[in-house]
Amino acid sequence: MTTLLEEQVQAKVDLPLLANIHQAVELDEYYVMGHRTCAGCGPALSYRLACKAAGPNSIFLGPTGCMYVANTSYLCVPWAVPWMHTQITDAGAVVSGISAAYEARIRKGKYKGTFPNIYVFAGDGGSSDIGIQAASAMMYRDHDAIFICYDNECYSNTGIQTSAQTPYGAWTTFTPPGPKIPEAKKLFPKDFARGMIALHPAMQYAAAASISYPVDYMNKVRKAANIHGAALVHVHAICPKGWGLRANQVLLCGKLAVETGTFHLFEYENGEYTYQYQPKAFKPVTEYLKIQDRFAHLKPEHHQKIQEFINQGLKRCGIKIPVEAV
Amino acid sequence: MANEDVKVGRQAEEDKGALGDSRPGTIKFLTGLGAAAHALRMADIDVASSYPIRPYTGVMMMLSMMAARGELDLEFVHGEGEHGQLGIAHGASSAGARAMTGSSGVGVVYAMEVYSPISGGRCPVQMVIADRTLDPPGDFGSEHTDALSTRDQGWMLGWAHTPQEVFDNTLMYYRIGEDPRVYLPQMNCQDGYFISHIPQRVVVPTQEEVNSFLPPLEFPDALDPLNPLGHGPQIFPGQGHVLEATRVNAMMGTFPVIDEVVNDFNKRFGTSYDPFVEQYKCSDAEYVIFISGGHAFTGKFAVDHMREKGMKIGLVRTRWVRPWPTDYLADILSKFKAIGVVETNNSFGAARQCGILTLEVATTLYQCDNKPVLTAFMAGLGGEVIRLDEFYYMGDVLKDAAAKGSTERTAYWIGFHNV
Amino acid sequence: MKTRFKKYTVEIPEEMAIPFAGIVESPKPNGEQPMMLTGGWRIYRPVIDSEKCVMCKSCVLACPDATVLLVDGGNKIGFNLDYCKGCGLCTWVCPVNAIDRVPELDFEDGVPFQDALFLLPHVEALYAD
Ligand SMILES: Cc1ncc(C[n+]2csc(CCOP(=O)(O)OP(=O)(O)O)c2C)c(N)n1
Ligand code: SF4
Ligand code: SF4
Ligand code: SF4
Ligand SMILES: [Mg+2]
Repeated sequence: MTTLLEEQVQAKVDLPLLANIHQAVELDEYYVMGHRTCAGCGPALSYRLACKAAGPNSIFLGPTGCMYVANTSYLCVPWAVPWMHTQITDAGAVVSGISAAYEARIRKGKYKGTFPNIYVFAGDGGSSDIGIQAASAMMYRDHDAIFICYDNECYSNTGIQTSAQTPYGAWTTFTPPGPKIPEAKKLFPKDFARGMIALHPAMQYAAAASISYPVDYMNKVRKAANIHGAALVHVHAICPKGWGLRANQVLLCGKLAVETGTFHLFEYENGEYTYQYQPKAFKPVTEYLKIQDRFAHLKPEHHQKIQEFINQGLKRCGIKIPVEAV
Repeated sequence: MANEDVKVGRQAEEDKGALGDSRPGTIKFLTGLGAAAHALRMADIDVASSYPIRPYTGVMMMLSMMAARGELDLEFVHGEGEHGQLGIAHGASSAGARAMTGSSGVGVVYAMEVYSPISGGRCPVQMVIADRTLDPPGDFGSEHTDALSTRDQGWMLGWAHTPQEVFDNTLMYYRIGEDPRVYLPQMNCQDGYFISHIPQRVVVPTQEEVNSFLPPLEFPDALDPLNPLGHGPQIFPGQGHVLEATRVNAMMGTFPVIDEVVNDFNKRFGTSYDPFVEQYKCSDAEYVIFISGGHAFTGKFAVDHMREKGMKIGLVRTRWVRPWPTDYLADILSKFKAIGVVETNNSFGAARQCGILTLEVATTLYQCDNKPVLTAFMAGLGGEVIRLDEFYYMGDVLKDAAAKGSTERTAYWIGFHNV
Repeated sequence: MKTRFKKYTVEIPEEMAIPFAGIVESPKPNGEQPMMLTGGWRIYRPVIDSEKCVMCKSCVLACPDATVLLVDGGNKIGFNLDYCKGCGLCTWVCPVNAIDRVPELDFEDGVPFQDALFLLPHVEALYAD
């Protein structure tokens, strides 16, 4: 007699795309209540939605970061699917090993189930900074696995330090503002997803999504899972603690990031980009910056510099939508 | 695989420790790396993760060729570096695959972060190490400091001293590491070049014999959607030392398993390995050379020659550094008057400026009533050959020490004092 | 010989035992992880006005903690207050303002809280005067 779980796992079919929020809500929860992420934690929401989209035939890997530490303190886990900790440095490598193990074991008749969807759920640090070598190698080797980067734009778990994806002008505990450095962080962030796409021309699917657009995000996770080979999903996951937001502002902030053109929702498939958010005009970035305490110290000239960076980004990406004047 | 099955006029000196008189099987002429590759093939490994660094690289070249020819059904994953190699092996093993990787020198230490997560996760990965001196500068020679610097990371760790022993250890290590009483990763070490690149006679058993000795890996807690488990959550503040204690117990619990597995191997394959420590001409010896690894091969010749001259010398070769066979060694070593530890590694600023092994030997002997004179021979550093005449020099120092009850130096730098 | 190693092992009292390799059981799908009750963190409690609610279910998908529930045979919105952290995202996302945020201490079973919102140090300094 096969159990329901066995049936669900063994019948590996492509995960169907979700038509609307009602279909999304109906899916089972595999990241369940009972974890110590902050109230309103964007990465936690991104985790929950990813697990919901992924379903039971999944394995999740959690490199060190808030989504390891806050979720598993102590000696328990909130995931109803198999989960394993990896070092912050080597999630891409470990997922490669698991994928290779399933390839070999299924081929050699040592495992009777179907090939699982294997996900890395790595922070911006674990993806674009210290974890970038392993992440890139996994994509280059085209292992059948999904790399999700939850981007909270800082090293949250260690107490909000600057990462390679912390934006220009942001306060962090390693980039405090002061009379000598009024803008706090002076560097502009990496463009992780596009960088990975450029670096791995054979990669079949990559996408950027936001927790403020949950159905779009869940469908991107599903598409990534359905690919045979490596796929990447970059999800903007707002951290209320690190960004100086009230917990209930998290989804507003994510929405403003998209509406100001700061964060682009896109899919990359068959060598082409498509953009899912197509307004008449983008809002000025000031509307996004002014709700976040991490930018509270910025002067108008800094806002101007950030706006220019965003405008350049839109141009570079061929997005021909104007930005409203302030 | 140019070195395989080579017909040569001269056969390497048969080593009685590794080869029984009537050991059955096909005779091949293999380097240490070739021996490891053949044993890994016969162990039917599922995943190998590679990265090039001399001198261990050959084992990966051979495995990739075996996979390409279809002699071994293998996922051969090209690591992005040694850190990635170990990560790949970690993932593969936690998903229930028999996994191997390998490295040398700076590569071994580049992966340092990942050793403890693998052993703490109780993943029975095997790593083939052909030793190489650490930089600076670039130095290809064999020195054991690379693998020894991982000795506190929870891996089983031991050296072979012939290609035959490399072959046999590869099978024995997997069987010990995958035993449900153990579940630990293993470092299967051999000296770079001296063992890894010099072909010797290796008896290769049949696949059926290997299969009956080494059953397929059963890892009950493997990552599997049909059996969802959480691997490696944070632990409560009061549990860190408990987890450490379980890891100590796992390592210490290997002793009876090693004993059982090596004896079973001897029975099946007609070999005569001591599970822990090889004693060469020790029964009436008064002073001994203590050694680990491939220089023991030369050391045994030297002991033979010195014995011919009437010296009461023997050689003690530990087959394990982790776990350290404390009691076995205490029993063996406390009988002698003088012991000289051949280090082949360096620990800058260590007690008495000896190497790593002397520290362990001294601790072992400290509990014994009879405390032999103990000195270190800093030899083979930077991968230098230890010549026969250098072993003779060590013999003279030890003979003198046994007579006087003391030595002039705490550590003798071979190549300096003996010239 | 075989048992001499035993003196180097650590006897772990049963009550201190830890699972093999720290591997733990997973919760059930749609379940909960009772080792981490977080309802006590709440400052504001979400309260639903079912009259206003149009069952668009946006709030269900917006909750990081999966504590917005479909109750009453799937026809109404409810909350699991053992775990709800009171973040207010369900309230924010509701298009018809059907979820109120009521101070926890207004309830007889309300949880005590500290009256300090998290502020970044340099922002705190701005408020300090
Ligand atoms: C090799 C190593 N260096 C540093 C750390 C310390 N560390 C723990 S969590 C963390 C932050 C992770 O940042 P990110 O990946 O962005 O995840 P987040 O905490 O923001 O969710 C760091 C640096 C570590 N665990 N390992
Ligand atoms: S610090 Fe940020 S990412 Fe970490 S748990 Fe809190 S809200 Fe989530
Ligand atoms: S207040 Fe926050 S945690 Fe509570 S139900 Fe609403 S969204 Fe979930
Ligand atoms: S968001 Fe508001 S209207 Fe929609 S289901 Fe929730 S409570 Fe009802
Ligand atoms: Mg982060």
